[in-house]
Amino acid sequence: MSNHLHQAGSKFLKLLGRHSDLIMDAYLSGSVNETEVDPKAIEKLSKANVLWRPDVEQELRLTGTVRSMLENALSDERNRQIDANSGSALATIKTLANHYKEARHNVDHAAAEAYLNDLNEHVYAFTESLAYSTRVLWSRINNEFGYVGTINAKIRENELAQSQVTELLNGLEMFQFDELTEIAGDIRELRKLMVTTLQEALSQSIEELSLVQSRLLELLGRFRHIQGRTRLLKGWLLHQDMHPEYSPESHASHKTVPSLFNHAAAILKPAAVDVRNTLHETELMQLVAKVKSFSDRPQTQTAHEDLSITLEDTVAFDITESQLKLDVDQYFCDVIDSGVRQSALEYLRAQDLNWDAESWIYQVIGGYEGLPEEQKHFFELEPLGESHPIYNGNFIIKDVELWLA
Amino acid sequence: MSESNMTTESVMVGTSSLIEALLQGNFICRTTDEDAWRALQSIVTREHIEQYLNQINRTLATAAEGEVYFCGYQELGDAERKVVSSQFRDVCQSLTPLVEWLVLVQEANGADAPLSQGVPIRLTELQTRIEDTPAFREQLAKLSQYRLFGSTSTQVDNQIKLVFKRLLELGYLIKPNQDKQIYIATGKLDYLYEVIRFIDETEALNLEAQAESSIQQDLI
Repeated sequence: MSNHLHQAGSKFLKLLGRHSDLIMDAYLSGSVNETEVDPKAIEKLSKANVLWRPDVEQELRLTGTVRSMLENALSDERNRQIDANSGSALATIKTLANHYKEARHNVDHAAAEAYLNDLNEHVYAFTESLAYSTRVLWSRINNEFGYVGTINAKIRENELAQSQVTELLNGLEMFQFDELTEIAGDIRELRKLMVTTLQEALSQSIEELSLVQSRLLELLGRFRHIQGRTRLLKGWLLHQDMHPEYSPESHASHKTVPSLFNHAAAILKPAAVDVRNTLHETELMQLVAKVKSFSDRPQTQTAHEDLSITLEDTVAFDITESQLKLDVDQYFCDVIDSGVRQSALEYLRAQDLNWDAESWIYQVIGGYEGLPEEQKHFFELEPLGESHPIYNGNFIIKDVELWLA
Repeated sequence: MSESNMTTESVMVGTSSLIEALLQGNFICRTTDEDAWRALQSIVTREHIEQYLNQINRTLATAAEGEVYFCGYQELGDAERKVVSSQFRDVCQSLTPLVEWLVLVQEANGADAPLSQGVPIRLTELQTRIEDTPAFREQLAKLSQYRLFGSTSTQVDNQIKLVFKRLLELGYLIKPNQDKQIYIATGKLDYLYEVIRFIDETEALNLEAQAESSIQQDLI
């Protein structure tokens, strides 16, 4: 019997392998394009329950079991199918346990072993399907329902996932462990399978599912937040269109200003440089070094370009001579007239001239130095003064004397 | 010993630049200044700053569920009220132009979500899309003429550049790399949503419901 099953199974798998392209095309496109494939292959696959025709008018499709096997193997995120039917699994497990107990009681070892194997299979299949369901849910959460485009679709997908989680959790609630313990009695194998294994799997699943549930709610909140913002913007524009005169009330002038609008005016301007701060000296020096000096600046070209020079005949003009210079000239003339040695300061006081002594002496020296060479040697000028008491080489002129050479 | 000195010093330097940014009227978010925003997540830093600000009648304010921080007045006297009211008027006047811009960007990019903090905008891509679609061109021309943006140009290129320049100045966008035409939305936009939501809720405008019913009508 089992040998026969084994042969049939490998034949079936080989059939799938031979037509893998056809099956994958059908999986991806949803149906088989009968005009393009070998009718014999279609016939074989239909016989093996891989393809079926839902309706005479309809195209051939993959059967659900093949489809879910592929979804499972490929971890296809589009897979929304979740087996929440814990009730039937529970019933099967209970039934098989009772079969096993009866066979044991009748000391029919062969039958007991077969039932125990079956029971093993069902318990592990059930725990596996639970783990698979949570994994599917997580993968949907992790890519934020990336397989649908719009926010509205994401919200609907999220709601579907939430209802599946609720159903799963409701299904798991049906497992009453005291009842299972009672069925298992004191048979070690049954206790291990029905109590320990199931309990572990269930408590883990329930824990994970509640995490999934909270993540789904969080995501839903975020989607609604995004959707809300979009609507808020659209609504604002609609409102503006319908009420062009509308402007918001002055919410900020109420007695208690909402904290949202309590935004202080900017008061801080950049601080000024403190050149006396020795700590900043190096930085400041570097900054100064970066400042281009005026001499380095390229001469502004525009000034030259715009300048139009018109050459005109130079017009003779007089420089109005200052009174100081005239007085000095008079001093020179008086020296010539008197022919005596005359101190500049004494002359200043004698003539009662209203000049500052220092300017006067400067002007006298300047006047002497300014004389043409042939006139200069008629005069002698001697500065009167003293050396600086500390810094030698500095001679401080207190007065000058002028006479005819 | 020296290490502990270093850390306290760096904390001080951090808060000084933070306080400076706050007193300059800036909105601090993860996008504009990640370090400062992170520092503000610590209650110790917040208290430290609050203490300083309280001395000059300022307080640390936050919006958009802690995504943005800014500086508000601690006590509102007449002078402060004047400032706050005038700022509110400014915000209100800029609401419609900004909302139109947000909708334009969202529609032109075909995005589900409107722009929010941290979302990048590639200006050249956006510009191409707007230039290729007459409806978008019209929307841009209309919104760029608002006083907030103040464009007088008829060219898409000039209009969009001016709009983005103004948004940079107003702090709704930053441009991380001067050589690249990539802009990133700041937390000030999240603040803006909150302002709209506040107005919507206090004046019972039912903006979302209005939008919803118009979408339903479109579907029918």
